[in-house]
This record gives sequence, structure tokens and C-alpha cells, in this order.
Amino acid sequence: MTPPPSGERRPGPGAPPAQALPGVVVWFGRVLAAFTRRELAAMSGYRAYFFTRVFSFVSVVIGLVFFARFVGATANPHLAAYGGNYLGFAAIGFLVAQLQQVGVDGLARRVRTAQVMGTIEAEMATPAPPWMVLGAAPVYEFGGAAVRSAAYLWGATLIVGLSLPRTNALTLVFAVPLVLAAFVGLGLLSAGSTMLVRRNNPVTLLLGSVSFFVSGVVYPVTVLPRWLQHAGKLLPLTHALAALRGAFLVGSTPGDIADSLIALGIFAAVLIPAGGATFAYALRRARVDGSLTHY
Amino acid sequence: MTAARAASAPAVSVEALGKVFRPPGGARDLLRGRLFRDPVPALIDVTFSVAAGEIVCLMGPNGAGKSTLARILGGLLTPSSGRATIAGHDAGVAPPGLRRSVSYVVGDERSFHFGVSGRENLLFFAALHGLDVRAAARRAALLLERVGLAPAADRRYREYSRGMRQRLAVARGLLGEPTVLLLDEPTLGLDPVGARDLRVLLRDDMIRAAGRTAVVCSNDPVEARALADRVLFLDRGRLIKEVSPARIEAELGLATEGREPGRPGVEGPT
Repeated sequence: MTPPPSGERRPGPGAPPAQALPGVVVWFGRVLAAFTRRELAAMSGYRAYFFTRVFSFVSVVIGLVFFARFVGATANPHLAAYGGNYLGFAAIGFLVAQLQQVGVDGLARRVRTAQVMGTIEAEMATPAPPWMVLGAAPVYEFGGAAVRSAAYLWGATLIVGLSLPRTNALTLVFAVPLVLAAFVGLGLLSAGSTMLVRRNNPVTLLLGSVSFFVSGVVYPVTVLPRWLQHAGKLLPLTHALAALRGAFLVGSTPGDIADSLIALGIFAAVLIPAGGATFAYALRRARVDGSLTHY
Repeated sequence: MTAARAASAPAVSVEALGKVFRPPGGARDLLRGRLFRDPVPALIDVTFSVAAGEIVCLMGPNGAGKSTLARILGGLLTPSSGRATIAGHDAGVAPPGLRRSVSYVVGDERSFHFGVSGRENLLFFAALHGLDVRAAARRAALLLERVGLAPAADRRYREYSRGMRQRLAVARGLLGEPTVLLLDEPTLGLDPVGARDLRVLLRDDMIRAAGRTAVVCSNDPVEARALADRVLFLDRGRLIKEVSPARIEAELGLATEGREPGRPGVEGPT
């Protein structure tokens, strides 16, 4: 151990810290960068995990090829509204479902992991506000999911000739933020309830499995009974898929998919405040009952 | 304690502090119409103050309330009653200013990411303190040097020994240049020599030389004697007495052995 180097600041009794805190955007950027660096460093240390991710990517793309060959062999009237492009239909279905999974699960998993690992208390003891401490992981996961999605689309384009020539970029500008906002709202609700019950959140699993079948991830919702189609409209994923498939596959304008965009806006407007309130309440409860590190 | 220290405003002020935990009920409690189990008092009417620049040790048996008190002072727990002010901030409200002025150093080895190096762990926490990449790298390197971990800075945390992990926790606690240190069992589980070295580093370098105030939670009389100006005894949530470090063993009925260097009349094991 060495003595303190000369020149290091001596705070002295009661002296305020010298360095001013940065603005929240810059600060969060630094936290996100540090989090990303740490995760990549950790991932590079687990070679098996890295190769598993690569294998997973390759297997999904190859799976899509055979699935599209099988289903695309016959013309299906339910696909007419999507230009008969089943490969594009299924690829977007999988990718958006994955985005929902990341949105719903990302923050909750981060909370749970930090509780189990025991890092959450030390992180919460820093000057960073709780949303910043916990927010880096879901943003990182969203970023990762976006990169994976782009990679899947690219892979599908290269390997099986997926073509999305009618993509309407303007519609995407409207739709993508609303889709992400709705998923973030779900994620906040999920994370708040995870903190409250201190268990892996069953809502996440339920939402994922129900959405998969009712929202039409791999088939158009028109094949479902009427009552299930109505039930599906209660889920953000249904509207996210309708909006993004419209934009990617048939070049829908924002006006063409206004119903879906409005529904996504309502989901975001309701879920983000509700999720934020739940999460804030869960954090307050954790400070009252000392359950920050309970698991 | 000097007259100047005594005359200045206390760095830590605890007034009639109480904390009652209400564990959530299980299925059986719910069937009886109770959402919570019986309340568990962890702190009862605790009052004391710590002058700026002073080191106070909170001692007591397991479950006495030491860590609960430290968590309240660190803004991680809300008190049920009373008030705690630390570095001018209300710990019950835990404003961001409190977490800048106060550092809660917990020796829990689970509080780091096992899969990355000690340096990488510090860089992440430095970002949480708002430091940019360059400042974080400089600060991490400086602190790793100071706690003697520079040669092992790029080894994975999981490869660190218990003593190295404790030192890394101390380094993390100093990232934000706090004015008050809360040290919860800082040498827990260390061998006597490792514990002595870490205590000397904490006392002489991290606290005294930097003019910091410290509250140390421990149930080790050697630690209390080596570090503290005053010792407060907690038992079952109550503050029962205050003694000078020189009288700890007498109060506990222990033999006075194992003294540490660096304090007048105090020697340590080698």
C-alpha cells in the first residue's frame, strides 16, 4: 500500500466534493458506456456464452429459411394483406416479439440480477439516481436487440433473398418510437412488480406466451376466432405487429395504420406513468422495508 | 478529539432515531387477515452525534442494529421515527447531495461483478459518480495504487482474495471523494495481518490524512481500538453506552491482547 500521492485533493471536514455532476443526459451516457464496456468485457470472458449467441443467431436464420419454404409453398389468402410475403411476415413477427420480450424483461431482469448478485445496494449508494442505475441495462438490451434484429434481417436478405422493397420509412419514424414506448411502459410495470414480490415476474412469462399466440407473431390474426382477435387488441404487441408489418411489407402510410398508432399511443400514455409509479413505489418500499438486497 | 473539532457542527447527527421492520406476511398470515407479521424493532430511540474529523465505532453483537443504522445514514433505508442528518443532509430523504458527501463502504463481496476485473468494476462505479472516461480511469488507477491493488487491477474480481476484495470495496468508497465514510465491517473475514494493514490504511491514509469523518460498524474490539476516537455500544437496537477505545476490553470483560501499531500505547499482532 502506498501513501497518498501529493496533489490529491484533501476534502477536509464538511468540504463539498469538488467536481460538479454532469447533466443527466451526459451522465446517463457515461453510465451506459461504462455498463456496455463492462458487459462486453464480461461476455468476452465467457467464450461459451459468446459462441452460444452466435449459434443462436445462425440457427434462427436457418430455421426461418425452412419455415418459409414450408409455409410459402402454397399461396395463403390470409397473407394477401401482407403482399403474400410470408418470410417477411414471420421475420418481423419474431423480431418485434423479441423486442417486446427485451422491453418487458430487460429492466426486471436487471433488478433481479442486481438483487441476487448483491450489487444493487452498492450501486444505489452512489449519487446516480435509481432510474440511471437501473436504466442502463434495458437500454443496452434494447440496443442489442436492435442490432440482432438488423442482423437477422440482413442474414435473411443474404441467405433466402428476403426483400422489403415497399418499406415506408416515414411510417417507421412514427411507429417505432410508439412501439418502443409501449414496451418500455410494460417493462416498468414488470420491474416494479419484480421488486415488490422479489421473485421472477410471472407476468413476463404470461405476457410473452399469450402475446405469441393472440397477437399473431407467426400467423395473421385473421385466422383466429373473432373473440380472440378482440382479446388480442388488448395487447400492445398486436398493434406493434400490425403497424410495423404495414410499414415494412406493404408500404402503409401513417394514415393507413392510424388505428394501430393511436392504440400504441394510448398504451404508452397509460403504461409509462403507471409503470413509472409502480417502479417508484417499489423503490420507496424497498427503502422502508430494507428489501433492496433481499432475494 | 480536539477543541476545534468539538466546536464545529457535527458531521453526523442522530436524534431519537427508530426503525421498525414489518416483514410481509406469508399465506397463513393472509388467511388470518394480516398483511404483515409482527413488527420487529431494529433501532429504538438512538441519539448521538459525530464531530467533523472524528472516527466513531458502533459496536454490538450481531443483530444489535449497527448495519441498519449505517444503511439509514447512507440513505439506503428510511427511518421509522426520529431524524438523522449527515454532512448537512437529511438521511431520511436521501437527496443526491447526501450520496455525494457520504460513502457507504460495505465489505460484502457480492457487491461487485465477478466476471470482470477490479479496474473494470471501479470504472463502472466511477461512471455512476458522474466521472467521464478519462477522469474515471485516472481515479481508478490512483485508488487501486493506494489500496495496493495496482498489480492485480486487471485480474478478474473472482480471482481476488478476501482481503483484495475488501480493499477494492474501500477504493470504490473513495471514488466520489466523500467527506463522511460509513464502514460496515471493513475487515470482516480477513486474517489478522491483512486486517491490521487495512485498518492502518483506512485510519491513517483514508480518514485522518484526508480529514474525513468516519462511522465504523464492527463487533471486533481490536478494530474499534485501532480506529476509533469513541465507541458506542448498541444492543437490541438501543444505544446503551459510550466508552473510550482504551476501555473496550474492560467493558466487554476481555483480556487486552493484540494491539496494533500507530496509536499511542497500542500495539498490534505481527
